Amino acid sequence: MPGAAERGSELSEQIEAFVARLRGGGERPRSEDTARQTLSLLRKIIAHGRWSRAGELMDLIRTEGQRMTAAQPSETTVGNMVRRVLKVIREEYGRLHGRSEESDQQESLHKLLTSGGLSEDFSTPYPPLRANVIEAINELLIELEGTTDNIAMQALEHIHSNEVIMTIGYSRTVEAFLKEAARKRKFQVIVAECAPFCQGHEMAVRLSKENIETTVMSDAAIFAVMSRVNKVIIGTKTILANGALIAVSGTHTLALAAKHHSTPLIVCAPMFKLSPQFPNEEDSFHKFVSPQEVLPFTEGEILAKINVHCPVFDYVPPELITLFISNIGGNAPSYIYRLMSELYHPDDYEL
Amino acid sequence: MSTDDLIETFRAQLRDDPDVASAVVAIRVLLGFLKQDRGETIQGLRSSLLAAIDTLSRVDSSVAVSSGGELFLRFISLTSLEYSDYSKCKEIMIERGEIFLRKVSLSRNKIAKLCHPFIRDGAQILTHAYSRVVLRVLEAAVESKKRFSVYVTESQPDQAGQKMAKALRKLNIPVTVILDAAVGYIMEKVDLVLVGAEGVVESGGIINKIGTNQIAVCAKAQNKPFYVVAESFKFVRLFPLNQQDVPDKFKYKADTLKTSQNLTEEHPWIDYTSPSLITLLFTDLGVLTPSAVSDELIKLYL
Repeated sequence: MPGAAERGSELSEQIEAFVARLRGGGERPRSEDTARQTLSLLRKIIAHGRWSRAGELMDLIRTEGQRMTAAQPSETTVGNMVRRVLKVIREEYGRLHGRSEESDQQESLHKLLTSGGLSEDFSTPYPPLRANVIEAINELLIELEGTTDNIAMQALEHIHSNEVIMTIGYSRTVEAFLKEAARKRKFQVIVAECAPFCQGHEMAVRLSKENIETTVMSDAAIFAVMSRVNKVIIGTKTILANGALIAVSGTHTLALAAKHHSTPLIVCAPMFKLSPQFPNEEDSFHKFVSPQEVLPFTEGEILAKINVHCPVFDYVPPELITLFISNIGGNAPSYIYRLMSELYHPDDYEL
Repeated sequence: MSTDDLIETFRAQLRDDPDVASAVVAIRVLLGFLKQDRGETIQGLRSSLLAAIDTLSRVDSSVAVSSGGELFLRFISLTSLEYSDYSKCKEIMIERGEIFLRKVSLSRNKIAKLCHPFIRDGAQILTHAYSRVVLRVLEAAVESKKRFSVYVTESQPDQAGQKMAKALRKLNIPVTVILDAAVGYIMEKVDLVLVGAEGVVESGGIINKIGTNQIAVCAKAQNKPFYVVAESFKFVRLFPLNQQDVPDKFKYKADTLKTSQNLTEEHPWIDYTSPSLITLLFTDLGVLTPSAVSDELIKLYL
């Protein structure tokens, strides 16, 4: 049918455009927008794609997912959304197949001892599967909309009057968090400017518009000022499976200074940033951009004799973090493995 | 099956298949015992199994045999809860037992697949004594074309480290055997520490050949990652708070326990490493942080 072929080519065009946009990486995209775009794209693939069994659908999603994550490995939200969708498909299939909700999909010693057979075979076709999966994805999209508000709602429990809060760079989640607390409490904020992109300046401007007393300072002064700070609240790009962070460059310094002064470090991040990867040799989280920011090209003579790097991200180990505040509440870093098992299926950790 | 037959079968299987973990051999022998059992009730079966496990631990009193035995008992109880008819129950038990043995034979490969990406090219690895799981992981790393070198501790009193070094040389991995006392000296050159475990306890700590605790403390002091590789059937329901809490039957060999007058004169064969010193555990259930281990045990035993 010409209609289906047209839709098919339009779909692949949209996927191509998305992949190209990810690879281009001009301005810093907002993680929530990336997540939403990924989910809408996956929903289109499920609605218009050619598949009849759950197994085929999962293979299709997995292939497209691999392509999208390969385009920009540091954008982990894309991979996370693909894994969420795969889990949704497994659950919907299980529900239709008649398996009870209780049967734990996870590998466990218990399952090892009591299971009758080996793995599940997603080959029975069920007509209502398409509609069910699309509805589940719509629910995911609604959940996505509410994440920043859910996190901000917890602000009053953590920020008290006359406190000095430190943060680094510009995080929209932390901005919402602090604004919500400012409605009822009076406190001060110190923002580390986070060179070389100096996004801390933008954060300071936005916070002062809400009449929050804000101070901007350079990254070098973080340790010096830390003794007067009550809490450190930061955002992050990714949360890894062992509870570590991939955050903006400069965060590790901040975390070490906070640990030295025994200042609590609170990370505000929604659950879609949780990625089931561990920090290992496949360090594809690293992203280097033009060293123009560090040493401008006008210094041509010096540039010829040295190497200049401009990394975007930093690794923060889990021992330095006190609390994760996400849309499902506050958790310790040692609990992250549990949240991961609820969001993703272990077979999907490797896309 | 008489006690002597049981001991003979166990010893024979350990001899014929040196590559298989002793817990798996214990479970295999117990499954054979189950097949031959003539009883008619679950209670009878349970008590004869308890006697069999006791016999086996008198031959080899290691943690692994104990955890294998307890797992098997748990397996019996879980299955008997589902089926009330004894003969049907026994059939299902034998079938599931075979499936379980098949699954655990794949566990070392699963662990190797999970662990080898953590070994970078050009890494210096420190390992302790002789562990078949660590050997399999390093084999997988070699297969994926990584270049690395290994330091092995000699591991007195049985020089197990020499055995490990020989096996590694066969894989063409550059290996250096060091004194147990030289761990603190070598730690600054090392990139990561990789050890096996004889048992993984509820807190997420491990029980392993004597000397492991020292290595873990040195690694922590110098900020080196300390990785443990262990199959999931090694999880045991112990919660030691210090070295004294580990039962004597694990610390000393079975013969020593029987013949020695004063245990304080004997040297223990194992020690306990606390979870705060361990970075990650690689098991066939996935990569776990020490806090995730107790979760797994709770899911099984409660």
